[in-house]
Amino acid sequence: MSSPSPQSNPQPDLDESINVTKAHGRVELETAATLRESRIAENGHEPVALWVIVACGIVLLVAGAVLGRAGNFFSYGDLTRPNYVRDEIPGGAAKGPASKPALAAFSSRGKNIYASKCNGCHGADAKGDGTNYPSLVGSKFVIGDTQKFAMIVLNGIQGPTSSGKVYGAGVMPAQGAGMTAVELASLMTFVRNSFGNETGDVVSIDMATKAFEISAAREKAGQSVTAEEIAAKHMTMLPGEVLEPATMVNPSNLTPAP
Amino acid sequence: MSTEISNANLQDAQLRAGIDRSLRHPVMFFLTSGAAWLAVSLILGIISSAKVHSPTFLDCCSFLTYGRTQAAHLNLLVYGWGFQVAFGVIIWLMSRLSRQTCKAAGLVLTAGHVWNLGVSLGVFGILFGYGTGIPWMEFPAFTWPVLLLSYLAILVWSFVQFKVRPEGSVYISQWYLMAAMLWFPWVFATANILIHIVPGNPVMAAGIAAWYKSAMVFLFFTPVALGTAFYLVPKVTGRPVQSYSMAKMGFWSLAVIMPWAGMQKLMGAPIPYFLPYVGAAATILFFIPALSAAVNLLQTASSSKDVVMHSPTLRFTMAGLLGLIVMALCAAFINIPGSTLKLSQFSMSGYGFEILAIYAFFSFVMFGAIYFIVPRITRREWLSRRLIKMHFFISIYGIVLIALVAVFGGLQQGMGQEEFNQPWIAIAFRAYPYAWATTIAWCFILISNIFFFLHLLVMWLRLGRRSIHPTLLISDHGASPHGEDGDIDNCGPGTVTPAH
Repeated sequence: MSSPSPQSNPQPDLDESINVTKAHGRVELETAATLRESRIAENGHEPVALWVIVACGIVLLVAGAVLGRAGNFFSYGDLTRPNYVRDEIPGGAAKGPASKPALAAFSSRGKNIYASKCNGCHGADAKGDGTNYPSLVGSKFVIGDTQKFAMIVLNGIQGPTSSGKVYGAGVMPAQGAGMTAVELASLMTFVRNSFGNETGDVVSIDMATKAFEISAAREKAGQSVTAEEIAAKHMTMLPGEVLEPATMVNPSNLTPAP
Repeated sequence: MSTEISNANLQDAQLRAGIDRSLRHPVMFFLTSGAAWLAVSLILGIISSAKVHSPTFLDCCSFLTYGRTQAAHLNLLVYGWGFQVAFGVIIWLMSRLSRQTCKAAGLVLTAGHVWNLGVSLGVFGILFGYGTGIPWMEFPAFTWPVLLLSYLAILVWSFVQFKVRPEGSVYISQWYLMAAMLWFPWVFATANILIHIVPGNPVMAAGIAAWYKSAMVFLFFTPVALGTAFYLVPKVTGRPVQSYSMAKMGFWSLAVIMPWAGMQKLMGAPIPYFLPYVGAAATILFFIPALSAAVNLLQTASSSKDVVMHSPTLRFTMAGLLGLIVMALCAAFINIPGSTLKLSQFSMSGYGFEILAIYAFFSFVMFGAIYFIVPRITRREWLSRRLIKMHFFISIYGIVLIALVAVFGGLQQGMGQEEFNQPWIAIAFRAYPYAWATTIAWCFILISNIFFFLHLLVMWLRLGRRSIHPTLLISDHGASPHGEDGDIDNCGPGTVTPAH
């Protein structure tokens, strides 16, 4: 109630007076909350605290440094940064395409090497021709211990194959010349996991490097291996660090991604 | 106590009561419908957050997909809850500060219904797949003129009241509220016209949207909350604002710096090179207006610690001001180009910052204002101190959890994104525990607000306590700061007394 109505005034002949007690009683019930309030006092005039000024100064410096990084801030001829390139990863990891599991990355690299080095004789399906060139599918030399396979690829083979049969060509020429460890590893991984071969493992670059060392240390270095030499000396897996097939690697250099 | 002083006090109280009575329908309408939208927004927030870690949750229908629920959740939080509670508080504060009763309550109420209609159409538009996909502007394009016109119809009366106010200096709250009332139509119309009516380069449209979002936070929600806090703190403690010069510094630094902020979200995009850097610097500089306002108010209240502990209004307002400081530190922390900005640019840190701004700062101050205003316009006291306490503490737990999780989880997510030769699933795994925590935090906030909704509903039904004593958070019988029973007029001049 902002003002008492005339009906509530028990003293009609004293118009300008207000029955304070009664008005107060009504106000009390209806506006108790507003009666508790007092006017907001005038503003205080404390000075700005020194630590607030210092803190704001620090933030100003930070913001200034941010603006400073903008370079040619008001040079309107040079508003956008040309040739935008992505920043390096702080860890120093190589740039490049998205990483892939090792088995897939090695195999897809090996596929190209197979096409250039092996396709001519063993064929696009790796089944050979049955008379001159042997099949690589299910061959014990291929899917068995990795060391025999590596020796045959690097040095070639003369005489009977894993099945005991001597094929028309009689000799497989050495393929090791100019080959790198990465190429050998990916070629072997590809052949061992394609055309129906499913060893499921990866020949690591470290293992391929060891294969070159073993090949160079052979007694008859430079000559083709034979089935007898394989049976005598190379019936084992290649030494060197094993790479799990699911490890994520960088497809450009086949090293594990960070 | 002399009779004249008693009469002056009585007249003041009668004027205040008259203002409150003239505004009770529109203010209660804005507060209750805002609270209802808040409830819907929280439920949608829980659904969308749950989908981040459990994608099969509620995957039955298209309108419950993540893209729609997340957009509806944020837009309702902004336009359904944030703006409506701001309307309720602004029209009440501007009337009180200009000492004018509201002559157009019916029009304000009608315009408020139109605003709600716009929000409803907008949110249904989003849920049925007609959203625009522009952050914070997802409502279908036809809603923005509706919202802008109803906004003008709601707040034009506050401008009129300010124009016809009694002579005297303009109080700090009025600076902030007037600024917010002027900045919003500018920002809203600029962004919508440049995006919907005269669209230019699409990259620049993304920049405008980023600026709009930042301007909503810094040029509307922040000044509204600060204006409210500058009213509530001196009013309830009965002490003057500590430092007038610091208040001026806070206001003018806000006005000068914050319009520049926002475009740092487009760092690296082909827009003029200096824009992202200016945006980052301005966002970092938010620390200055935030610190000067928060410190000023905290120091004002620090001399009345027991009042802060007693008063629901002050408890929430103080928590909101602490939220403001955290928000300012966060703004500086996640926007440093070349270091943290690229981690927060496309991760949930940005969302965490928005929630900090809208809930931890703005909403807490608004809750404080609601606990102050509602007893005055309904003439009933809050029913239960326990409900208020539950609302306060569970809200605090929820918002602390959500802010920590979203900001730091977002940085983790950002680090994952930077390792671009890892598959994307690795990033999802990094964010997985944080997504769970976000869902739990939203549940906390929903539970806390159920207490608030119930309490507000009871007050709206005029079932509050009929008493001359306010509901305080700590009861100490016999030592009430408001005097003994029946002694209500203990607020004479010169005495430092709280007015909860």
